[in-house]
Amino acid sequence: MPFGYHGCYLRIDVSDGSVDRIPIPETVLRQFLGGSGLGVWLLLQEGDPAADALAPASPLVFAFSPLVGSPLTTSAKFAVVSKSPLTNRINDSLASSGFAIAGKRCGCDAIVIVGRAAAPSALIIDDGRVSLHIVEHLRGASCQITEAAVKERLGAGYQVASIGPAGENAVRYATISHDGRHAGRGGSGAVLGSKNVKAIAVRGTQRCEWAHPRELTEISRDLSKKSFGPATAKYRELGTAANLLTFNRLGALPTRNFQSGTFDEAVSISPEEIRTTHSRTRASCVACTIGCEHIYGIGAEPGVRLEYESLFALGSLCGVSDPDAVLRASRLCDELGIDTISAGGTIAFAMECVQRGWLDESWLTFGSGDAMLRAIDLVGRREGVGDLLAEGSRRAADVIGHDSIAFAPQVKGLEIPGYEPRALQTMALGFAVGARGADHNRSGAYEVDFSDKVDRRHATLEAVRYAIETEDKAALMDSLILCKFLRGVFADFYAESADMLQQVTGWDATADELRETARRIVGIKRRFNLMAGWTRDEDTLPPRFLDTPLPSDPAAAINRQQLEALVAEYHRQRGW
Amino acid sequence: MRVELLGLPRERAGVAELELEADTLGQLLTALAIRFPSFNELISVDRLRPSFTANLNGDRFISDPATRLTESDSVLILSADAGG
Repeated sequence: MPFGYHGCYLRIDVSDGSVDRIPIPETVLRQFLGGSGLGVWLLLQEGDPAADALAPASPLVFAFSPLVGSPLTTSAKFAVVSKSPLTNRINDSLASSGFAIAGKRCGCDAIVIVGRAAAPSALIIDDGRVSLHIVEHLRGASCQITEAAVKERLGAGYQVASIGPAGENAVRYATISHDGRHAGRGGSGAVLGSKNVKAIAVRGTQRCEWAHPRELTEISRDLSKKSFGPATAKYRELGTAANLLTFNRLGALPTRNFQSGTFDEAVSISPEEIRTTHSRTRASCVACTIGCEHIYGIGAEPGVRLEYESLFALGSLCGVSDPDAVLRASRLCDELGIDTISAGGTIAFAMECVQRGWLDESWLTFGSGDAMLRAIDLVGRREGVGDLLAEGSRRAADVIGHDSIAFAPQVKGLEIPGYEPRALQTMALGFAVGARGADHNRSGAYEVDFSDKVDRRHATLEAVRYAIETEDKAALMDSLILCKFLRGVFADFYAESADMLQQVTGWDATADELRETARRIVGIKRRFNLMAGWTRDEDTLPPRFLDTPLPSDPAAAINRQQLEALVAEYHRQRGW
Repeated sequence: MRVELLGLPRERAGVAELELEADTLGQLLTALAIRFPSFNELISVDRLRPSFTANLNGDRFISDPATRLTESDSVLILSADAGG
């Protein structure tokens, strides 16, 4: 077995509490590494891609990686992989911090959960010993209360991941929360909830050894030093929320359900403005030297971590300019365990349906912070219109009718992040072909749009190879696993990644090998999707984006033929 | 011409925008580096460092120092990384 791995995974059936420790061949580890790559491989081993995502037999995988537990900065990460109940396609969501380290110290490279517990339960894994504790008293508790209660009951040393009411209620975009962060997209919280597991607690003592500890320490020191430099300064000093005014200036800030690329009141919810009226502190994940988290206070209320994606989705996308409403909405999503992007996207879609007279919820209007907060609460509890909106914008459009699907802001069912596709057309391609749907974490194609390599408002076939490069790079980072905010510090990403992997595992890994690995990981996600029923016509954007130029910038237009040509070229270059 | 500073460049300069005269992008960046010593982090001679980028009039991104500018142009200086 290579260094850096335990060489096995735990398969836990929560129906009867049975546990198997199953070996993973070294060839598989080398081919798929860990995180997203290993998680998808395990999902294919353990489950049927065609089965219902919320069926007891459908697996939920927590996958660690060879770098977890190493001194490499940002390596304390884990991937949660399952079939998405929102998209019915592959879903891999990543989160950070102590859960990754403690989980790996349980003596496994991944945890696969199947079955359904008889009562709401906490799954406890103590150094590889598994037990289920009934936590009926935590039914309906927030993610944070659940995590704290389980930790208090178990005592020191445990790291806990939990779901909130949204996961219990099968909200299709429910999250799994740990230490204030979320495996956020695609509804992994609903999958855990479908297994009647409210929380997972992990603690362990089994460390992996490194092949070349001295060299690894040197590389780690160098990487940490670089992580303090200008490539990460934006995240450290301003956080991702700094995107807001930039995107607004470029006409790329999704506003009022993508009816505009500019928001007149953007300044009022910008971090530059909010920090003048609200307290701000910084935080970071375990084993991270970047420290990108910016937490804003609202008077005496608990602070709220604010990211660009939450800011756009709960702000401009819903037309809300009250910063306190946006901060409270972000916190409410955190407590309920809801993906802020899908929440904002689905609520903004509903607001437009109300505007058109197609949804009889007159209170749900663009610009109303109170309405947005009420809608989020209803979604988390699946009450009233919240029961419909908990299904996501695509399913809601099917119910509302009136061809509202044309402006449901989703690809494959996953709501579109804060990058206006007509104004950022390499990203538009990335969204269209994304295996888990519209996604800015699996495709970093916006990087290309923010360069002089392409015309961001008129993508040509030249953009395709760049989009593929960013997708491959993301697949590798999500499998090693390293934080994407590090990407700017590498002079030669593949060569430097190979060096890290060599020092950890002892493999003679090369840059070319890792390029091939990245493509293999993208490919296995596609394989899952094919087995789940994917067809090529899913690789597109909603009609709104193809039929209508961006009203705030008529030069930002991409028609159906243009997108189809880009997608066809993407498939050709992928060899699919 | 107008120079608009966004994100980190705005933090470093302490202003959101200013007026400068320059015939090319390279001249503009050199002038900015002189005006704001803290821009050493952003600018190397007449080019932006890799973590930063320039945009012309909110339309296209530019990097060649020889790019011609006119008096009516607006040049945006911003972070190159748009990760959210």
